[in-house]
Amino acid sequence: MNDMKRWISACLTALFILSLAGCGHEDPKNLIPEEKEKKPTVNLFSPMEKSDPNAENVARTALDLTVAMAEEAVGVTVAYRTYTAEDHKDKTYDDVALDRARSNMDDLYLLNPDTIQTLGAEGKLMDLSGLDNVKNLREVIRIANTVDGKLVAIPQEVVAYGLFVNVDLFKQYGLALPETPEELLECCRVFKENGIETPIGANRWWLETFVFAQAYADLYNGGNTQAEIASLNSGERKYSDYMRSGFEFLQTLISQGYIDAEKALVSEAIEGERPDFLAGKTPIVMAYWAAANTETAYGKTDFEMKVIGFPSSRGQMPVLSMTGLAVGANAENRENAARILDHMISDEALQLFSETNRVISPSKNVSLECPPSLTPLYDRIEDGVYVLATNAGMKVEQWGSTCLIVRELLNGASVEECMAAFDRLQDAALAHSGGAKAVFPE
Amino acid sequence: MKETSNKQERRRSLSLLLSIILIFSFFGAIIFSVSQKITRKMSASAIQNLSESLDLIESTIDAILRSQAEFQELIAQEIAQAEDPEDYIRSYDRNQTMAKMSLILSGKTEGVSNTGERFTEEGLDFSAGGTVIGLPVSQSYLNYMGTWSYTIKCPVERDGGVLGTLYIEYVYDAIDQSLPEGFYNQQALLYIMDAESQRFVLKPKGMGQRNAGHLNLTDFYRANNIQEPAIRSEVEDCLSTGRNALFYHDIRDIQALNYMWAVNNGTIFLVGYVPVEAIQQEGRTVTQNIAIVVASLLAAFFLCIALYYLNWRQQEKLRQEREAERKLHSQQLAQALQAAQIASESKTTFLSNMSHDIRTPMNAVLGFTTLLDKDADDPVKVRKYTQKIMASGQHLLSLINDVLDVSKIESGKVVLNLEKFALSDVVSSVDAIIQPMAKAKRQEFHLEVTGIRHEYLIGDETRINQILINLLSNAVKYTPEGGNIWFRMIGLKQRSNQYEHIRIEVEDDGYGMTPEYLETIFDAFTRAENSTTNKVQGTGLGMAITKSIVELMGGTIKVFSEVDRGSLFRVDLELRILERTADRQFWAQRDISRILLAGGAGESQENILALMQDTGVHLDAAENAEKALEQIQDARSFQLVLLDWESCGLQAVIRLREVLPNTTPIILLAEFDAEDLEEALKVSGTESLTKPFFVSALREKIEELRYTGDETPAPDTEESGDLKGMRFLAAEDNEINAEILTELLELEGAACEIAQNGQLAVERFQRSAPGEFDAILMDVQMPVMNGHEAARAIRALDREDAGSIPIIAMTANAFAEDEKAALDAGMDAHVPKPLNMDLLKKAIRQHSRRKEKG
Repeated sequence: MNDMKRWISACLTALFILSLAGCGHEDPKNLIPEEKEKKPTVNLFSPMEKSDPNAENVARTALDLTVAMAEEAVGVTVAYRTYTAEDHKDKTYDDVALDRARSNMDDLYLLNPDTIQTLGAEGKLMDLSGLDNVKNLREVIRIANTVDGKLVAIPQEVVAYGLFVNVDLFKQYGLALPETPEELLECCRVFKENGIETPIGANRWWLETFVFAQAYADLYNGGNTQAEIASLNSGERKYSDYMRSGFEFLQTLISQGYIDAEKALVSEAIEGERPDFLAGKTPIVMAYWAAANTETAYGKTDFEMKVIGFPSSRGQMPVLSMTGLAVGANAENRENAARILDHMISDEALQLFSETNRVISPSKNVSLECPPSLTPLYDRIEDGVYVLATNAGMKVEQWGSTCLIVRELLNGASVEECMAAFDRLQDAALAHSGGAKAVFPE
Repeated sequence: MKETSNKQERRRSLSLLLSIILIFSFFGAIIFSVSQKITRKMSASAIQNLSESLDLIESTIDAILRSQAEFQELIAQEIAQAEDPEDYIRSYDRNQTMAKMSLILSGKTEGVSNTGERFTEEGLDFSAGGTVIGLPVSQSYLNYMGTWSYTIKCPVERDGGVLGTLYIEYVYDAIDQSLPEGFYNQQALLYIMDAESQRFVLKPKGMGQRNAGHLNLTDFYRANNIQEPAIRSEVEDCLSTGRNALFYHDIRDIQALNYMWAVNNGTIFLVGYVPVEAIQQEGRTVTQNIAIVVASLLAAFFLCIALYYLNWRQQEKLRQEREAERKLHSQQLAQALQAAQIASESKTTFLSNMSHDIRTPMNAVLGFTTLLDKDADDPVKVRKYTQKIMASGQHLLSLINDVLDVSKIESGKVVLNLEKFALSDVVSSVDAIIQPMAKAKRQEFHLEVTGIRHEYLIGDETRINQILINLLSNAVKYTPEGGNIWFRMIGLKQRSNQYEHIRIEVEDDGYGMTPEYLETIFDAFTRAENSTTNKVQGTGLGMAITKSIVELMGGTIKVFSEVDRGSLFRVDLELRILERTADRQFWAQRDISRILLAGGAGESQENILALMQDTGVHLDAAENAEKALEQIQDARSFQLVLLDWESCGLQAVIRLREVLPNTTPIILLAEFDAEDLEEALKVSGTESLTKPFFVSALREKIEELRYTGDETPAPDTEESGDLKGMRFLAAEDNEINAEILTELLELEGAACEIAQNGQLAVERFQRSAPGEFDAILMDVQMPVMNGHEAARAIRALDREDAGSIPIIAMTANAFAEDEKAALDAGMDAHVPKPLNMDLLKKAIRQHSRRKEKG
């Protein structure tokens, strides 16, 4: 009973004190609250795809995470500016990016390789070689993003392309995984003889990876890369000389029926070849690294799958490409943008990016827990064996141009015609001493 | 009566419950109605609030557009006055508002821009008919800077004619700079949509919500799941007519107000949504506060109820406690009354029993005394009568002893006399008493001792004997002739290594007891009454005494019985083990290290092994005599052979004797009344030991063997006439007792002088010559001066023999404490009354001899 009395009196005392505290409030004279310090803003121009709000876009989430990390570190707000083309009549993202960068509309840009090459050559992008975290980057990143001696862009991931093979089918027909173009042709022959109609599943975007693997195997792995690129840029050498063997190889694949050119020409990436590959009807397809981690692509198969490099004279050859983050040379907030970017490419940020998307990091200090299926490809990259499908240091844009010329091959053009197209591109580039678009004669 | 009150209670509880529900329902209805009203008000307020905000933004944009148009008219006027209008255009720099300025002179399709390139109207769409202060405004488009923009065209008029058309491109980013930052605390989303193309030309910046449809209206609908046809058609209608639209629609599960707000007569629209919470922040606070107030009131209400309930419960508890206490008191009183009644009845019964039990022997005493008087001359009859009188007297004495024992136990005066003792002594003394009794009734008495590990213990041997004799004599009494009695002493598993846990079982196949009697068997003053046992004499106090003693020793007693099947008494006791370190030495000193154990069942051998395990002597067990012979022939040297008589027999003894050296004794373990044992004992070096086996008994036997041939100490001889010639001073106030004493002593050839009290005895002794009396026999309870005082007075006398003359207490105060009191008073011995001449003689002899030695 005494306990209860004590308890009640304690409650009443607490109530009394609270009442007193409530009465003690004093109003300030100026009713407008003090304004918070406004953070400086950096504008980031990046593509924004049409996406289902309920399905998170994995890649962007990883970007966002690193942006948030950088904002926290630098004390700057990053505002996104985006553009998405509504239809084919609209300007492309690359077109708008070029316009905006040339008009100094934004500070930080997420750019495709050809845009990097163009803007870099125009001097519209800031030299990033002075950033603290540049020292951590792999050499390949410098090679691919250096224009006129300036490091103009830095990627957050290295996109590696490879051949996705159904190992069970290879074993079934007693075939070893191919190292050279000849071995691949032999494998296709055996598959075809055993009733596999189309041994290689293809789409209208990625057949160029075969070409790059054969064209640049020696250029990037022969120990004379810079000099060879320089002679290409000066016109001493011709791109067509490099490209020819790859195109001829593609021509053989098409003529032997190992690739269905008609189908490939109308097929979108993954969507076109995925069903047959998963069903075991097609033993070989090509795709980028992350497709092996994504269930909606090739992340879940009923058979043993491995990802290997493309056949080349130097064995299995990974093909790398990369988009890059760049800072406008004359941007209003270029200093803050550079600081933001420096944090976005820190080992910590790249580790986060790499873990989130399970992709190869541009930092040599960030290692990746590689799934078994990707080991063959990853081991080659770690050994420094690869070719670049994008290189801002080359006067002729590679990735987009080669894709378009390969489409013409699919469409029935001869290898010679394709080589001529490369020559025209090279001439145009030399004439303008800047980037040029692939323009195929109608 | 109780049922009616329960019903009333239930009805009261039900109506209370209903009242509470009613109050809460009423309260709930009020809260609900108030909250509904607040919600409606808040909704209206939110709509108004948002409308005002959007109106403000609309006015701002309208003002910007109007300013741009007015500015363009001014520029047009300036161009009209310029000498070279195209040159004027080229000289104009781009600024934040104006991205591009172009002029097409009348009659031409191509003109100039301030950016330097040629300009045509191609790519500009004025078909929608939008105007700002009458000037046509184009549809929105992505300009050369990669940003959304629009162009207003304005005629350049000079002298009433049209000189050309001025086109100025404005970017939406300029409008963006005039829009409020952090619209509704940055929770609102605001797009600017071109009405004609329905594309979003100005989008929110910053992080978050980037998955929202930002491309065009369709994308906005898709991303925010606005699929209701009614809403969409209403919105379409508003868009086509340039009206504003505002509607509720959840955005990602959050209630939001969506809007399509027409600007510049519907050429562009403000599109977006605001979470209702963001508009009604203060409303939420109000709601929360109301909720807090309501919750506080409810809490206070429940607190009051809880306090009331606690108080009520406490009162109720107190009331119940008082009630319980009262009930307990009544119960206790009733029990006490009942106990008193039972006690009274018991005592009445007891008195009746006693009356009967006392009268019976008394009748014999008096009857035979009468007969004695008559037949005094016939010595044969006199002896016969005196024997019967003696027997009746003995019975009367035991009756009185029991009564006194019970009264002492009940009054808590009994103290255990804890001393060391050997279980073997207990067993053998009990055996010695019970065997003859059983034999007399031709009953079989079975004695078993198993599992005992320690036989030297500490306890009250006398009381343990009392327990056993009580139980066993009862068994003998209540078992008809030819029956069986089992006495088992079992060593149970020790609970502590300092205590031997012993179970004593006394079982018989006698009359047994009824369940009703079993319930009262341990109560005092009860006795099984039936036609069979009426023959049995007893006080009915034995079991009560037994139970009390067992409990005093910390033990338990249980009884199991069935009529005509017999009874089983089970006593569990824990007795402290006496540490006997000297035990090992005993065997070592006598060079006994190996004993052969021949014959006997497994269990019996195990018992012996268990008992002998602390002695340090190695025991070899042989199942039978043959095996024993084999072991001896295997040249094993044994210092002693223990042979089970019952299982081995005479032949085995003879054969073993032949092979064993003469120095090795054979000890036969035999039952109490083993047959033909004498024959075996004739074999040299053979001795017997009565079962059950005990180490102490064996040790005694070994000691005996050692003395064989030596001079054995002469036993005390019973000398009947050794009081002859002695002279005693006796203090005795009772004349009859004095006379009996005198007569008895005279019979022994001694003389006795009587003093009527202590005082007289002291005086007489004082007067006596030294050596006149051999001893003083002292009664205790006497008038004038009691025995204790007298003894002290004598011891205090200034005489040479005052300290040495034996003073022997002779009193009816027969308990241990009486003996102690006598000894404390300086007396030498204590002999209880009724007088037992043997005891008296023993005491006199002992103390006279001591005195002589002294």
